Amino acid sequence: MIVAERKPFAEIAQAVAGYRRVLVVGCGTCVAVCLAGGEKEAGILAAQLDLAGQLAGRDQRFATACVERQCDREFLAELDAAAREHDALLSLACGAGVQFLAERHPTLPVLAGLNTTFIGVNQDVGVWDERCRACSDCLLSLTGGVCPVTMCPKGMVNGPCGGAVDGHCETDPERDCAWTVIHARLADSGRLANLEALVPPRDHSRANLPGRQTHAAYLRRYSSHD
Amino acid sequence: MTSFAQAIKDKGFVVTAELDPPRGVDLGPLMELAGRVGQKVDALVVSDNQGANLRQAPWWAAHRLAETTPAEVILTLTCRDRNRLALAGDILAAAASGVDNLLLVSGDFVSLGDHPQAKPVYDLDSVQALMLARGLTQGQDLNGQELAGAPALCLGAVLAPEARPLAPQIVKLRKKRAAGAGFFITRPLSGPDALKTFLQEAGDPGAPLIAGVEAKGPEGVAAAAEMARAIRAAGLAQGLHLSASGAPETLASLVEACGR
Repeated sequence: MIVAERKPFAEIAQAVAGYRRVLVVGCGTCVAVCLAGGEKEAGILAAQLDLAGQLAGRDQRFATACVERQCDREFLAELDAAAREHDALLSLACGAGVQFLAERHPTLPVLAGLNTTFIGVNQDVGVWDERCRACSDCLLSLTGGVCPVTMCPKGMVNGPCGGAVDGHCETDPERDCAWTVIHARLADSGRLANLEALVPPRDHSRANLPGRQTHAAYLRRYSSHD
Repeated sequence: MTSFAQAIKDKGFVVTAELDPPRGVDLGPLMELAGRVGQKVDALVVSDNQGANLRQAPWWAAHRLAETTPAEVILTLTCRDRNRLALAGDILAAAASGVDNLLLVSGDFVSLGDHPQAKPVYDLDSVQALMLARGLTQGQDLNGQELAGAPALCLGAVLAPEARPLAPQIVKLRKKRAAGAGFFITRPLSGPDALKTFLQEAGDPGAPLIAGVEAKGPEGVAAAAEMARAIRAAGLAQGLHLSASGAPETLASLVEACGR
C-alpha cells in the first residue's frame, strides 16, 4: 500500500493560516491504514488546528469529512457540496489524492497535510517498510523476490557493490545488503544461475512522463453499455 | 590493445599510484606530486570525487598528466554522478584528450561524502558502465547507434576481496570480466592473506589483478610497503595500486618504497 506521514503541525498551521473556513478531508484507504490521514486523523488534526487558531485569536473554523478514496471520482463527488462551503481544502490523502481533489476544485486552494513516503508493507504494529519504487520494470522473478531497485541505495541490478561489510550496506551498518539477501534467497531456492546473466541498462523512459495504464477488457465491457 | 593493457603484458608486474584532484582550481600540487612519483610507477590513477567528496572533475587532471608524465594515465569514472549520456560523453572526451585507460566504478554512496543531500544517479551500475564503454570501442552507443569514430579503450574495474559475503562478489567479478574488464584493481587490502583467500574462492580472475595497498598516514608506510612486498613475493597479483587517502607526502614515500 501507499504509506504517508503527517506533515509537522507547524507547517500545516502555516499553510492554513490565511483561510477562515477549512475542510479537512481524510482518505479512508491506504493512509487510513498507516494512521496518517484517515477519518480519525482528520478529526484530531481539525481539533488541533481549531485550538491553535483560537489561541492565536484567529477567526478560523475547521470541519472534517472523509471519503473512501480521494483517487477515485466516484468518491470525490460526495464532497462537492461540502467543498463549496469552504475557503480551502486540507487533504490528508497521498499526493495522488491531493492532486485529484485539486483537479476537481480548480478555484479552491487545496493544501497537502501529508508527506507521501513510499509503497510499502506493514512490518509490525505501527511500522511500515518500503518495498517498491513502482519502476515499471519488475526484476523480482530474477532476484529471488527481493527488489534491488528499492532495497539497494544504488539500485545495482548486476550484483553488490564493493561496500558490503558482513552482509550490511555501506550506507548503514543496520541495513542488510540487498544483494546479500538476494544471493541467499536464490541459493536457498536453487536459482543461483539467475545471477550469471548480464542485466542490461534499465529503461527509465517511463519515468519521464506520468504513467497511464488502461485495462482493455474493462474498457470494452463498459463501452459496450454506452 | 591499448597502452595500459600492453604495459601489464610487457612488464609482467606493474605499479600504479592514486592521485586525487584538488578541491579547488589549482592543479599545481597534483602535477608536482605526479612529477615526483610519475617516473617510478607505470600508471597514475586519477580518482573521481573520491568517497563522494567534491573534487575537481578528474578528466582535466587526467588530460594534463597524459600530456606531461611518462606513466600511463587511468581515469576513474563513477556511476554515482553521471547518467549514461554523461558517462558516454565523458569517455569520448577523455579518449579525444588522450586518456584511454578507464577505471569504471559504481562509486561510494552520496551519504558517505560531503554532499549527502545530493541526488545519487546510478543510472547504470559498474557492470553496465563496462558494457557501455565496450560498446563505444565497437563504435556504438548503448542503443546501438553508430559513433563518428570509435575510441580505443582499456577498461578496468574494481574488486572488493574483503567484502562479505564473498560469493556475490565473485559473481560480480565474472560479470565485470564478461562485460569487458581488461584489468582489475582491488580495494585497499588488509594483507596478503585476504587476497589469497579471495583468489582461492574466485579462481582465476581472467584479467590482470592489481592489488590495492594503502598507507594509513606516514607511520603506515613501512607496513604498507611490507604488505606490498609480501603480495608480490607470493605471486598473488600482477601489480600494486598504491594509495594514501589523499596525503601527498605519504603517497610519495610509499611510491619510493614500492615503485620501480
